Amino acid sequence: MNPYVTLIIILVGLYGLISSTNIIKSVFMATMIESGVILLFLNLGTWNGGVIPITSDVSLAIVDPIPQALMITTIVIGSTVTSLALIISIKIFHHHGSIEWKDLKR
Amino acid sequence: MNILPIVWVFLPIITAIIMFMVKPNWIHGLVFPLQAILLLLFILYIGHLRAFPEDALLVFGGYADWIGISFYADALNLTFVGLTIVMFFIIMYYSFKANRKEKKYFFFLTFLEGVFIGLLMTNDLFNLFVFLELTSLLVTILIAYRKAEQSLKAGLQYLLISSVAAMLYLIGVMLIYYLFGTINIRLVAEMMSTYEDTMLMRVAYGLMMAAWMVKGAVFPVYAWLPKAHGVAQSSISALLSGLIVKVSLYLIMRLHGDMFGQPYGFDQVFFVLGFVSGGLGVLFAMTQKDIKQVLAYHTISQVGLMMIGISFGSGNSYVGGVLHLLNHALFKGLLFLAAGVIIKVYNTKKVYEIRGLFQTMPWTATLFLVGILGITGAPFFNGYVSKTMIKYAFADDALWMILFQAINVGTMISFSKLLVMFTGQPKAGIDVGKSSFRQHLPMTLMAILMLAIGLFYQPIIQTLYGFTAYDVHIGSLASLVDYVLYFSLGLTLYYGVIRKDAKPFQQIRDFTISFPSLNVWLLAVVLVFLGLTLR
Repeated sequence: MNPYVTLIIILVGLYGLISSTNIIKSVFMATMIESGVILLFLNLGTWNGGVIPITSDVSLAIVDPIPQALMITTIVIGSTVTSLALIISIKIFHHHGSIEWKDLKR
Repeated sequence: MNILPIVWVFLPIITAIIMFMVKPNWIHGLVFPLQAILLLLFILYIGHLRAFPEDALLVFGGYADWIGISFYADALNLTFVGLTIVMFFIIMYYSFKANRKEKKYFFFLTFLEGVFIGLLMTNDLFNLFVFLELTSLLVTILIAYRKAEQSLKAGLQYLLISSVAAMLYLIGVMLIYYLFGTINIRLVAEMMSTYEDTMLMRVAYGLMMAAWMVKGAVFPVYAWLPKAHGVAQSSISALLSGLIVKVSLYLIMRLHGDMFGQPYGFDQVFFVLGFVSGGLGVLFAMTQKDIKQVLAYHTISQVGLMMIGISFGSGNSYVGGVLHLLNHALFKGLLFLAAGVIIKVYNTKKVYEIRGLFQTMPWTATLFLVGILGITGAPFFNGYVSKTMIKYAFADDALWMILFQAINVGTMISFSKLLVMFTGQPKAGIDVGKSSFRQHLPMTLMAILMLAIGLFYQPIIQTLYGFTAYDVHIGSLASLVDYVLYFSLGLTLYYGVIRKDAKPFQQIRDFTISFPSLNVWLLAVVLVFLGLTLR
């Protein structure tokens, strides 16, 4: 994927964080930024026609395995963050009956 | 012997899992032997490092160091590890009785200890990210632990803003990997001097520093901190303010100082931002009526002072900043813990409803007073040493000195507000209960440590940093007179101005930043930092 497309995903996520008044939307926008960063990172050392790095033949043009190893970890952490954020959102809904940021007093 | 840093990470985590799985509640007592073992291993490791300095680097799994995950120990992170072990011991001892039946509380707290030590020890940029996110997750759970309305909201805001900050940092890591082909901090630092200064490197620098601004609650992205630290349990607040928030300063020192090594003019940016957040922190703290909010806003101000110190990179001011970091952990921890005891007895957080502390709880009141003397920088106490050392580099510059003293007087004004609690007639029906030894012992320990650093700062700084501090003249007549004069100014201003609670102060008190606008500020910080690095 073109890195500029992933940059657009990140910027849309940032815009969403600024503009959304709803807690659930904020959570998803944070997830969206994360997806953009993951896609951006996966661009490194990857190209069309690159061979997957599960081979012993060193003459092949294998893609760089490190970004993929790092990003699978990021996906795991990201899903944990998202699920915790959603659980807290549910608790907030039970307390307030609303998931708008402005309805929560400080 | 050289694998001890891994033990520091895994021993707490394994203990946490055992405590969670074994049913009876007495198993929570395991946290104390755990802290003792950690402290023993820490001392052993320091002794080992003295004999074999080459063991400081530890690469896992027998890989080459440019590809494997590694830990690296130096004076900077070992001091932090020591502080972590001491702080966790204090917090656990303090909160043991109140939470002894809470399985999850000890599970998360002990787990956090392991993860936090890992965050300090790691020498790998991505591993750092993993530990950073884990720390945010565990801290969120601990903030929202009581599931009260405010703490849920504060926890969610903290979680979202720090995960966005971590993503900014991750983009920086990606650029570093793209440029250098490795994410080992020490190797990148070695290569940094030979690489030409490209745009991408500057972008990576700007994004990483913006991320640390969020983690450290520096102006203008501070708004999550008073919410989170103000609503958590007192023991957790003490842990967050004393220890967890400092990780941003540690990472600034590690990445800005050690790894990039070229400031891009950011030493001045940190210097100015330190003053801005120092000033705004006390301005907000002065107007608050909630005792924990006052303390939480003071954390912002004190982090600002530390940033002023560490922005110099070396010399007396820098060491003063690093020492202030340790000192702040002690006195802010002490203040939060004492506030916890007071809030429990008086059953209110409102400053104006608490009266006659010296009558009802003399020992708690004395400890609280020691904390106040420390944070306002009274001679003989540790705050005086580090604040005087921070001033060293700009002591001749009138403008910055006036601002610095203004922050100091602001601190005194807001603590004059807390001093009011000490006198007067307590409300009828206050039941002190029997004095809790378990809560007062760790607080007394902190007070003793504060005095020890205040009196014997030179040998301590010499051992920790191998640096001979200049003489700050503790106990000289001039410093005592200065302190008394500034404090009287603070008291006068408090009774003359703040006590009247005029309209502007009410507005400042009610000023909050909502989560969407916090993100606007975050974006602004990112853009400004990128602009400054790319100029």
